[in-house]
Amino acid sequence: MNNRTGAHATVWTYLKVALVLTGVTILEVGSIYIRQLTPIIVPLLLVMSAAKFALVVLFFMHLRYDSRVLTLLFCGPLLLASSIAIALMTLTGAFLVFGR
Amino acid sequence: MTRVERRHRAPLAGHPRSAPAPWVLATASWLTTVDHKRIGILYGVTAFAFFLLGGLEALVIRLQLAAPGAHVVSAGTYNALFTMHGTTMVFLAIMPLNAAFFNYMVPLLIGARDVAFPRLNALSYWIFLVGGLFLNASFLAGTPPDVGWFGYANLTSKQFSPTQGVDFWLLSLLILGVSSMIAAINFIVTILNMHAPGMRLMRMPVFVWMTLVVQFLIVLAFPPITVGLIFLMFDRFFSTHFYDVAAGGDLHLWQHLFWIFGHPEVYILILPAFGIVSEVLPTFARKPLFGAPVVIYSGVLIGFFGFGVWSHHMFAAGMGPVADAAFSVATMLIAIPTGVKIFNWLATLWGGTIRATTALHFAVGLVGLFTIGGLSGIMHASPPVDLQQTDSYFVVAHLHYVLIGGSLFGLFAGAYYWWPKMTGRFLDERLGKLNFWILFAGFNTTFFPQHYLGAIGMPRRIYTYAEATGWTLWNAVSTVGAFGIAAGVLVFMVNAWRSLRAGAPAPADPWDGRTLEWRTSSPPPPHDFDTIPPILGRDTFWREKYGPRGVPPAPAHERIHLPAPSHWPVVVGLGMAVSAVGALTHGTIVLVGALVTVVGIFRFALEHHRTPAHAHQIGGLGLDHRKVAMWVFLGSECFLFGTLIATYLAYRGKSVVGPEPHEILNIPLTTISTFDLLMSSLLMVLALAAVERDDRRQARLWLFGTAFFGLIFLGFQAWEFTQFVGEGLTLQRNLFGSTFFVLTGFHGGHVTVGVVWLLSLWLLDLRGRLGATDAVKVEVAGLYWHFVDVVWIVIFTLVYLIP
Repeated sequence: MNNRTGAHATVWTYLKVALVLTGVTILEVGSIYIRQLTPIIVPLLLVMSAAKFALVVLFFMHLRYDSRVLTLLFCGPLLLASSIAIALMTLTGAFLVFGR
Repeated sequence: MTRVERRHRAPLAGHPRSAPAPWVLATASWLTTVDHKRIGILYGVTAFAFFLLGGLEALVIRLQLAAPGAHVVSAGTYNALFTMHGTTMVFLAIMPLNAAFFNYMVPLLIGARDVAFPRLNALSYWIFLVGGLFLNASFLAGTPPDVGWFGYANLTSKQFSPTQGVDFWLLSLLILGVSSMIAAINFIVTILNMHAPGMRLMRMPVFVWMTLVVQFLIVLAFPPITVGLIFLMFDRFFSTHFYDVAAGGDLHLWQHLFWIFGHPEVYILILPAFGIVSEVLPTFARKPLFGAPVVIYSGVLIGFFGFGVWSHHMFAAGMGPVADAAFSVATMLIAIPTGVKIFNWLATLWGGTIRATTALHFAVGLVGLFTIGGLSGIMHASPPVDLQQTDSYFVVAHLHYVLIGGSLFGLFAGAYYWWPKMTGRFLDERLGKLNFWILFAGFNTTFFPQHYLGAIGMPRRIYTYAEATGWTLWNAVSTVGAFGIAAGVLVFMVNAWRSLRAGAPAPADPWDGRTLEWRTSSPPPPHDFDTIPPILGRDTFWREKYGPRGVPPAPAHERIHLPAPSHWPVVVGLGMAVSAVGALTHGTIVLVGALVTVVGIFRFALEHHRTPAHAHQIGGLGLDHRKVAMWVFLGSECFLFGTLIATYLAYRGKSVVGPEPHEILNIPLTTISTFDLLMSSLLMVLALAAVERDDRRQARLWLFGTAFFGLIFLGFQAWEFTQFVGEGLTLQRNLFGSTFFVLTGFHGGHVTVGVVWLLSLWLLDLRGRLGATDAVKVEVAGLYWHFVDVVWIVIFTLVYLIP
């Protein structure tokens, strides 16, 4: 296997990641019930969701320890898809920026 | 002697010059072939047949337009003709003709013996054949599609297209998309992971580079059109509201989804021709390609920027001035890397020792004709100009200059260039030049006047016109030219037939070529190369022949493993065909077809589970082919789910009637199911760790646990769906119902596939057929499973949590 760092996640690492994922999920759900967070709820949820996404991809999918080629093969399309999705939503008025 | 070797001792019935085999053996041999060269021939012959069919449709179109008020065909038939002509030429002719060259030449050009997944390669061909036949079966059913090759909503809705023509069209495109995706993943892995040692990326021939860019375009551009077609299918079959304006839907959504695919598609069509020209010109100018790295980088830039210009097909759709301006600028920018190529090609010819072969004629023809098409294209990049030109014959002229003058001329150049390698025979050069000049004259006679016709106001897609318009003369000229094109194609067919029957024999290197395919015999043996060639740099074969260094010693004799023939690709293709027929006839037939498909896939997947040569498939990157393929697939899945999620968010709050999300979504329950899915990912990594250390007990425990947690998630989802239906939210209720159920339903479908996959691995383990050597199979399944998990992380936040 072409490991970038030569390391391999241990079972304990996986358990820690699972604990963090559980904790962040609890925080996510809890935050929608805290009225004071309403002004920042959307970016807050997006950041937490992105953090969970990254943890699963980096550790469970092993991308942190694997070849950079695989990182490019996944992250390139991910970024492009996200950009196009945002553009599509903008063009169809989801953000009411370029309303027709 | 192994089973594989014994199979390959059978006579090669497919080689046109070998001793003929009995017709049954020969047919079976072609039906079960996994040899990239024979699959390339299958693609080429099939695509050429569809090309002739598309050409006939074009001739009828031109006959109808030859004179005002003509009655060659009715208006309805005319609509079907231009729809089928466009769809056939794009999806059944040009794309698979490109695929013919990908299949035959790419492994040879990179010094490989075959593609990464030979059986998948065969599967992609048979699925293509199914899609092409299914589309044309619409003629037999009396309901060919008549909505244009772009199928704009809501003309495609049940209300305005009640017959099954649109159903044939959308189902066949979905099938063809599967074929293209499979092939694209295969070629990406092949190019990245199977090149000969020493062939670094920048040493690869430009045709291989263009092929690589095209495969990435396919993998990333097809998911959006797949989603768009799924929305259309659901609207037509299940009365959803994706393109239902009265329910809050947006017809622009179809246009966006179509052109997010459609613009990269035009680069999918043209870049292979650019690659062919980049091989042909240096050979017949006896000079290296001028600025080869720049040509490569410009190809990559074209591919990348191609995703950012799609709405230049929508300047007349009313997006607004800011959007128009942004896409206009992007479109003008993308002309720069294309122009760079033109100058590089001209510089390649400049000062070269020119051999004016037919292949060179077509390549130079491409350079000139594509430039003309590009000039009209840059006019379209300006929205105010485009408002005059769009939907007129000016656009028809532009697209045919780039697609015939570009793609088709490039394909002919490739045919004349590589025919000796593929057949061991030359095409006749005199007939070849006659072919070129008749085609060149016919093409320009047909399409150059159409610039003028468009400029004086002739719209597209009209089946007749009045004499008073003044369009008669140039329509008549254009029709004469169309028959000139037909004559040119006929000359090629005569040339090909004569060559196959009694053409002059061709040696291994008839053109004094520069690249690796000329290093092996014409045609190549089944194993492509007796020994893997040394790589001395770009144009490696040229360096080997004329370079200053001596040729390095050939590597020690290696045992060559050739992939065994397989009938499972045909079975899977047949299953898909039956399912498609069932979709238009009776649901039971869909189930039968699906059963055949699923059984075929299982048998396909397990066919070589215990073949020793298949245990390790490590390539030049030091990575297993299957792992690279899965990551590429997951990249495409980002586009699939990105499109579904973007549509959900774009439509949020636009439902005309309730219920709304906040009235019905059960966040506490979904939190539990989300936790369940997250934990299943933990179990999956524990399962993989157990398999890697050959701990059979723990492997079985965690594999089953993962699948079980997946089933729990599906149970929660089924309960949720049932509750929602009971509370009045259905697919058909409102826009929220349509988008929610399709998004979460497709995710659930992915979970289901994952559960079946994991249970299959668990059953293999129970039967003692999953060991440490199979860890990569579990790893690949795990990657898929974790991706399904991260998609749900995004859906949970965007759909359930964000107010």
